[in-house]
Amino acid sequence: MAAEQALRLAAYVVVAVGITSLGVADLIGTVEMALAGVVLVAGGWVRDRIARASTLDPVLTAAVAAFAVVDVLYLAARVFDALVRFLVLLVLLRLLTARNSRECRDAGLLAFFMPVASAAVSLGVWFSFVFVGFLVAGTMLLVLGHELAEAERSGGPAAARALPAGRGMLTLGLAAAGGSLLVTLALFFVIPRIGEATLALTAPSRRMIVGFSDRVELGAIGELETDSSVAMRIRVGDVSLTPHLINELRWRGVVLDYFDGHAWTIARRRRAPLGRAALSEAEGRGVPGAGLLLTQEVFLEPIGTDTLFAAPRVLRARVPVGTALVDDMGALSMSHAASRLEYTVESIVGGRALERLSPTAHTRFLQLPPVAPRIATLAQEVTASSVGPAAAAQALTEYLRRDFKYTLSLERTTTLPPLEEFLFARRAGNCEYFASALAVMLRSLGIPARVVTGFQRGEWNPYGEYFLVRMSDAHAWVEAYIAGSGWLTLDPSPRDESVTAAWAGASLFLDALRLRWHRYIENWSSHDQLAAAATVRQAAGAWRNWREHWPRWPQLWPWAALAAMAVVLTWSLRRRGWSPRSRDRRAPHFYRRALRTLSRHGLRPHLGETAREFAGRVGDATPAHAPGFARITAAYEAVRFGARRLPSAELAEIEGCVRALAR
Amino acid sequence: MTQALWWPPRFIRPHRAIHPTREGWWCLLAAVGLGLTAVNSGNNLLYLLESMLLGLVIVSGILSEYSMRRLRLSPVLPEDVFAGRPAVVGARILNTKRRVPARSITLETVGTERTISVPRLAPGAERLVTWEHTFVARGRQRLPGVRVATRFPFGLFVKAGPVELDTEVLVFPAVTPVTGERPGPATGDGVSAARRRGRGSDLHNLREYRDGDDPRLIHWRVSAKTGATMVRELAADTTDDVCVLLRGRGLASPRLESGLSRAASLAVHFLRAGAAVSLTGPGVRVPPGRGREQARRVLTALALYAPAATPDTASVSGFDAEPAGRVVTVDLD
Repeated sequence: MAAEQALRLAAYVVVAVGITSLGVADLIGTVEMALAGVVLVAGGWVRDRIARASTLDPVLTAAVAAFAVVDVLYLAARVFDALVRFLVLLVLLRLLTARNSRECRDAGLLAFFMPVASAAVSLGVWFSFVFVGFLVAGTMLLVLGHELAEAERSGGPAAARALPAGRGMLTLGLAAAGGSLLVTLALFFVIPRIGEATLALTAPSRRMIVGFSDRVELGAIGELETDSSVAMRIRVGDVSLTPHLINELRWRGVVLDYFDGHAWTIARRRRAPLGRAALSEAEGRGVPGAGLLLTQEVFLEPIGTDTLFAAPRVLRARVPVGTALVDDMGALSMSHAASRLEYTVESIVGGRALERLSPTAHTRFLQLPPVAPRIATLAQEVTASSVGPAAAAQALTEYLRRDFKYTLSLERTTTLPPLEEFLFARRAGNCEYFASALAVMLRSLGIPARVVTGFQRGEWNPYGEYFLVRMSDAHAWVEAYIAGSGWLTLDPSPRDESVTAAWAGASLFLDALRLRWHRYIENWSSHDQLAAAATVRQAAGAWRNWREHWPRWPQLWPWAALAAMAVVLTWSLRRRGWSPRSRDRRAPHFYRRALRTLSRHGLRPHLGETAREFAGRVGDATPAHAPGFARITAAYEAVRFGARRLPSAELAEIEGCVRALAR
Repeated sequence: MTQALWWPPRFIRPHRAIHPTREGWWCLLAAVGLGLTAVNSGNNLLYLLESMLLGLVIVSGILSEYSMRRLRLSPVLPEDVFAGRPAVVGARILNTKRRVPARSITLETVGTERTISVPRLAPGAERLVTWEHTFVARGRQRLPGVRVATRFPFGLFVKAGPVELDTEVLVFPAVTPVTGERPGPATGDGVSAARRRGRGSDLHNLREYRDGDDPRLIHWRVSAKTGATMVRELAADTTDDVCVLLRGRGLASPRLESGLSRAASLAVHFLRAGAAVSLTGPGVRVPPGRGREQARRVLTALALYAPAATPDTASVSGFDAEPAGRVVTVDLD
């Protein structure tokens, strides 16, 4: 392939990758992408027509400019969208009207702004593929452009047209791309993350989801349970959790205290910045059996909620921007709904906080709507044999788990209020029905209770070593206050947790890759840089310690000195042309190749036979090869015995003779 | 002292000059803009693209350095360089690397801004590149330096090495064709009757034998008569001899250069005609001789002629009391 053609191809690939990046980032629609694809594929034909009628150039340019103005004023929802479309049109126009390789390369270079635009709004591992594709194709474009320019400079346009895109050029381009990738990654991790994001370019939230707001309708979470998309990924710190604790692990979100018969809401939400005072470490650790400190690194997808999910009893939280807020029921949140977010939370799991409820709070968590008296009657019947509120709470939980079914089909079949229908007619529901029923029954017995929405533990990903929590893991449960024990977590839903177990290993591996991309590329921060620097420093300290211990083994010094001498000697000998196979290697490469080729024809030098004698024998056996091999032998003698260095032209001629031997 | 304060020491001074090309400026501009946007937005993907641009710049620097390093330049100069006449000068460029070829090498002549491209130079290969250069003045002149430069691998930057090959060249005075002058006995300019020793056939003198004399020159008869070993000294054959005589010092004279050029032209003309030519003038003495080497001697003397360095009066002592053969006088004043 000619280098000009290769350059044109590379430019098309670069533009295609750029347009793909815009499409995947939803900056251009499917129709626009398809149109751009058609223009690219039919580019050759269009280009030929335009080249013939060069007067079309200003017409097309004017058309693109006019469309851009109209787009900005009337069509585009945002100026950014109009600019993106203008960029696409400009690149395509430049590519299709390019009359020489330089203009073609410029079109490819202009396409660099496409991934820049998509980077401003993109959050996804796909960007890594776009990035690598763009880097490779872009580097090839630069290399080819340079080679063509050099050929034109030295030999004129005819030399440039005749330049082939050989293997060497391809190797050079790939090597340069590989080197650039390595340097890019090194720079990426090292470039200091300075300043605050004063011009935040963040991806819009995917959507506002139900279930994690101030008001949760009965059945709302059921809508989420069919959604298998990832909600968050949670890495837990190095702590040995018991199997019981692992099973009981839940990611607490919103806590609701007021029930109106149809929906749970927060009666009075009072939030304050989460400080050390929220739950002091002394309180957490000072009490016997207070539990384990669990550090969670949470990677929250843009699910459109301001809630921060964490294991219950949060000790402290660190968020990248802004402040973490906590309400009076211990629920964490941000001041605004964020896009993809990474935050760290420390919680105390497995213990119980000795919290005293004030009379006002007591009243607050006993609030009940006007519900049917038979619900209270049912609660009393179930707990008739229970001694104390804790036993009663456990009995009600077991009752619901045992006698009711979990279902996502929540069609109303009666005109009864939802809770009554669940308890006395349908006897099946989703987790909110179970939680609501338990909370109402507990309150009817005088036990303070509240409903919590959040997520189940999720699936363990062994490749990335984190919990993969999907939207389908959204869950609701109950916290009941037992005097002397504090708030107990009660989960009455007989929900099968194996719904996500069908995921194949490959998917988990891909998800681990995705997490690494989010963690180490998208969320790489100055904090991470400091941590990495500390690790390096620690490693250097360890090396110093090792060196301090080294003199304690003085018997190793002579061996080390000997090894160093051997290395130096070997290096020195090799510089002089010596090698362990120097006998073979003294013969130049072309002669060895010629011998290998002849050996395939059954012609091998005998022991003691000189090169010239062997050449004579080859001439007798295959007269057609006699002149060629005689030339090779003469060159071999000149190099081997005359220490002559063959000029490149002569070497090329000899290589031609060697190739002729194989025919 | 001021330079020592302001100029960095040699070991930290970059030994290559780097200039962005048009594409390189765009690349740097994009890197600056993208860097500012990345800092302001805190968007790591923009940091990634910024790193890509900087990575390309760094890789470009590394590859161009590998391409340029261990290239040896040696000058190739013609034997005779005349003022005002284009001379083909050249450089031999050798890639002493063992594995890596040198690519996209350009030789740039300083001052004349001439560029010569060497697209690829294999490991161990050598290439001779030549170009024309005209030295305006005679004497010791410096060859315009040559700089090795490359745009490899992306054409974003031009990396140039230090100026090399700015060696000294001896430029002879301009030589122009001479018409109407033939070697032989003088007709008008004056013929010297004086004879001198040489390798002719006529007897010039008899003297006592000294160590090293050719035994064949022993004059046996005279030796027998005098009782001392006498040898013959032969007279030089001076019929074709020409002596170019410089008259005057040429100090601040507009005729100096034209006179030297005339003298050089005459000397070359007579030497080509087979005559033995000598040069005599204020502070200049070139004994008679023939052939190419004599031409170089005469031309060198004329090239290096400096009027201020000449003695006040032209002494005519030296290798010969009087110039033999025909004397051609050239006025410098």
